[in-house]
Amino acid sequence: MASGAGDWSSSPIDDYETLISTTDVELLKRAWRNEKASPEILPFQDALVKRAKEQIQLMEETVDEFEESGHDPLIVSLYQMDLDRAQFLLRSYLRVRLQKIEKFMFCIWKNDTYRDRLSEEEKSFIESCIRVIEKHLDETVLSKLPENYRDILKQSAISEEDDMVPEPQLDTFVVANCKRATRPLYLDSNRQSAVFDNRDDYFQMVPGDLCIIRYKPFREELINGNIDLV
Amino acid sequence: MHGRKAYQLVKEFASGEKGQLKPFNRELFGRVLEECNEHHGALQSLIRKMQEEGLDVQTARNADHYGALIHHLSLTRNKRCLMAYMYNRAEIIRVLAWKVGLLHELPEEIQEKLSDSEEEYFKDHAKTLKSYMSQMGLDVNVDMVPPKDPYIKVRVLEDVGGGIILSDKSANFARHSMHFLKRTDAEQYIARGLMEELTS
Repeated sequence: MASGAGDWSSSPIDDYETLISTTDVELLKRAWRNEKASPEILPFQDALVKRAKEQIQLMEETVDEFEESGHDPLIVSLYQMDLDRAQFLLRSYLRVRLQKIEKFMFCIWKNDTYRDRLSEEEKSFIESCIRVIEKHLDETVLSKLPENYRDILKQSAISEEDDMVPEPQLDTFVVANCKRATRPLYLDSNRQSAVFDNRDDYFQMVPGDLCIIRYKPFREELINGNIDLV
Repeated sequence: MHGRKAYQLVKEFASGEKGQLKPFNRELFGRVLEECNEHHGALQSLIRKMQEEGLDVQTARNADHYGALIHHLSLTRNKRCLMAYMYNRAEIIRVLAWKVGLLHELPEEIQEKLSDSEEEYFKDHAKTLKSYMSQMGLDVNVDMVPPKDPYIKVRVLEDVGGGIILSDKSANFARHSMHFLKRTDAEQYIARGLMEELTS
């Protein structure tokens, strides 16, 4: 998996850069880094994960073949290392997502945008999680409280909205690397929200910029792929 | 009254070491629940009093209204404290389910700290994780650290006897013996504390 199809032919240096940046490994690394750094859950990279799983399986078979055929053990262990590291990336990506889901399960479940970002398996995971914790909290606390106070999401029957749901902190600072130029954004004085505007004092990132920013105004840019989190 | 016991409950949880559970404080928990019901009783009697005096419960603003309001607020505060206590303990239990629950039972010392419902929650959550992993066809709880070498040196901490299954050889693991194992094999024993990795 060092390059997309195990092709070791020599390419000119600038082609190498583009080749490297679009291999599945790089895409997976990028998805993994973004997911780790972002406070909210990002869209699930369905096609990428499928391809990664297939390639890992292919690698496993290759390594097994090599071991049996008595291939040079050094090469085998190199392939094995590569395989291990690819597996780690994939597992860690899924793991980070699962942990975010566990932490913010009610918030994700209620919000359509977030719910659409889950894979099918993650959807059944979150349903099951919610069922289990509702059962647990119900038995221990909620059923013993008076009427009107038994809801899991609202403090009491007179609350106007669901006030007991933990939400991700979208204002945290993140370090972002710009790949493509972002839209010009007009940030307010706390830099906490942004409007797409054509005023003069806008903020725009150009490729190669490395900035520390609050997460919230740049959500769109991250999802479009204009910036990456580090 | 008025949230003081609930405060004690939350404080007890917060004063523990991060990530460690204290034994489930059944007594204090039960007392906070009783308080909630007391507050509710008082709240209802005040509202009834207002209704008997012919006042509109929604808009009247006399002493009874404010008394009822205080009971309501104490109740919601107690509810929040109780939920916080349970929810945070549940979070720690989830971490345990990730580390241990998928293959093995909980060790004794931890099991006695959980209430019955929490043990159920632990099992249920482990089941949820297992079903996700079988759907995906991957184990998500191995490889918690990025791999550096395919083989690592380990020292056996507890006597495991001959029951260890390795992918390429079998060995007898006496206490304090050192071995050079494949990382994927050794990981589950390291997670259970039966072996430790030698990094020097």
